[in-house]
Amino acid sequence: MNKNYLILILLAIALIFPLFFGSYFIHVITTVFVFLALSLSWDMMLRTGQLSFGTAGFFGLGAYMSVMVVLKLGWNPIFSLLIGGLFAGIIAFFLGFVVLRLREIYFAITTLALTHVFLVIAENLSVTGGASGLTLNRAIFNGNSVKIYYLILFLTLVVIGISEYFKRSKIHFAINSIRNDEITAKSSGINVFKYLLLVFVITSAIQGVIGAAYAQQYAFVEPSSTFSLNFLLLPIAMALVGGIYSTNGPIVGAFILGIISEYLKLIMPYGHLIVYGLIIVVVVLFMPQGIYKPLKNKLSNKNIRGDANAQSSN
Amino acid sequence: MSLSLKTNKILLLFIAFLIIVGIWQPNVLMDGVQRGSMYALIALPLALVLGILGVLNLAHGDFLTVALYLSYVLYSNINMDPLLTMIPVTIIMILLGGGIYLLTVKYVVDEGHLNQLLITFGVSMILIEGVKIIWTTQPRNVFTGYAYSSFSIGNYSFGSYGLIYLLMAVVVLVGLQLFLKKTRLGQATFAVGQNPKGARIVGINVNFVYLFVFSIAVGILGIVGAGMLPQHAIFPSVGSPFSLKSFALAAMAGLGNLNGILFAGITLGVGEAIVNAIPGYSSWADIVFFGVLIIVILTRSFREAR
Repeated sequence: MNKNYLILILLAIALIFPLFFGSYFIHVITTVFVFLALSLSWDMMLRTGQLSFGTAGFFGLGAYMSVMVVLKLGWNPIFSLLIGGLFAGIIAFFLGFVVLRLREIYFAITTLALTHVFLVIAENLSVTGGASGLTLNRAIFNGNSVKIYYLILFLTLVVIGISEYFKRSKIHFAINSIRNDEITAKSSGINVFKYLLLVFVITSAIQGVIGAAYAQQYAFVEPSSTFSLNFLLLPIAMALVGGIYSTNGPIVGAFILGIISEYLKLIMPYGHLIVYGLIIVVVVLFMPQGIYKPLKNKLSNKNIRGDANAQSSN
Repeated sequence: MSLSLKTNKILLLFIAFLIIVGIWQPNVLMDGVQRGSMYALIALPLALVLGILGVLNLAHGDFLTVALYLSYVLYSNINMDPLLTMIPVTIIMILLGGGIYLLTVKYVVDEGHLNQLLITFGVSMILIEGVKIIWTTQPRNVFTGYAYSSFSIGNYSFGSYGLIYLLMAVVVLVGLQLFLKKTRLGQATFAVGQNPKGARIVGINVNFVYLFVFSIAVGILGIVGAGMLPQHAIFPSVGSPFSLKSFALAAMAGLGNLNGILFAGITLGVGEAIVNAIPGYSSWADIVFFGVLIIVILTRSFREAR
């Protein structure tokens, strides 16, 4: 009951937020949402036990596809987001048949290599504008930051919904058992490959849609910045800080890191990302559960103790 | 017996490939061999760490960046010849490698792949961003007379500086092999690579071997960095692509096959040089490595599955 109220309050804050703050803050929070969605999609893949380094690649595919259909075919920008996601999903579907046979470092490295392959292809085809990329005439909603905020908020909520669905529906039994022990999962009759492919395609499609939205917001794509490893590193750091294998973890992590990095950008023009590196190392070494879970446990312990005190005083 | 036949076949194919390229375009062959031995030289320490510690060091290329910058600092501040900086840079890199191992990698050697990859990923980011903070993102150059020297055979003239990579690669490779086979510590290292638990039982100080191997691997990058400086403009992300390229070579040669890395490096180097030489398609050269990497990994996985 309590939890539902909290969710409603947070949702209300997110909805009325643009009414009270200037465009700079709206912009910062929009960026946080973008990375939040990427972080969740990375975590969803991780829940199957597969460490994917391909986040930036599918992000870039979606971005390129969406900008191309708007620029070359003149389609509606909002519709192009779907096309971006669809394209990334289809590519992931076909790549999945070969890539998902790999495990551990081989899967991670191959997805990272795929990102580089996408980058080189985008850099060299004439239809993708070569090394200088493509520029749209105008951003989505004419660059109105409030409308863009609501669009990306909507997409993020959808991603949160998908992530929760994966946590609560029957699928999560299959996913967790694959992560814990693949052989056992297989012998209990789970079609491992089918579930991996499903998660891989869905997370890649999410990354594609988010990439498309990001590209439409800035109205350009350019190989090295669209396939930038930032779209891989920051989501990973966020999920780690908040706590992996959960929906709430990446959300908490994205807000903490997103706001810290925005602040650091102002005081440290070069190398503010060093904080991300330090955070990844510190979290892996000292807090493998992230921030969210230990914090929640502490709070709920306190509540239980409080209740007990209240009862004993009665 | 059949294994040696197979190795011989691959070796013959390799030589035939080089000869064909050499007849077609000697310049491409020369460029490819120089490039390829540089890749192999960089990949050797990565393969060593991967083979002994079982850790894929994603920060590998960024250690190279640090070595390049250290070498540059010595060159610009006390006017040392880049090649002479090899000695101090290597010593500093060994200490840096050891320090980073003790602070981070040490704790994940026995853990799962996820933590190993993530922690070296974090270290990689710290190194890149640290370099940005200290030296900013401005590219830097070194000028030395000998970097652009050349020699000619018949009608063709070749840049000769790159041959230093081949020399260095052979020296490092022979040195590593002698160390692993002949010295006591080397044999211990070999044993740890084969079976850490067994090595621990027979009384080998496994932790020290890990520390030693990681430091030496980073130290070798110091040698490479000093050697690369005269020919390469340096900037904070100059080394990052080499992490993946080195892994491509290690995967192609097979785990624990140090000699194979030199052949794999030269093959891919020549392959890249061929793509580079095709007019209009030179910028596709980057795809050679990643394409080969993906194909090699996939064929391995299919072969295992069968």
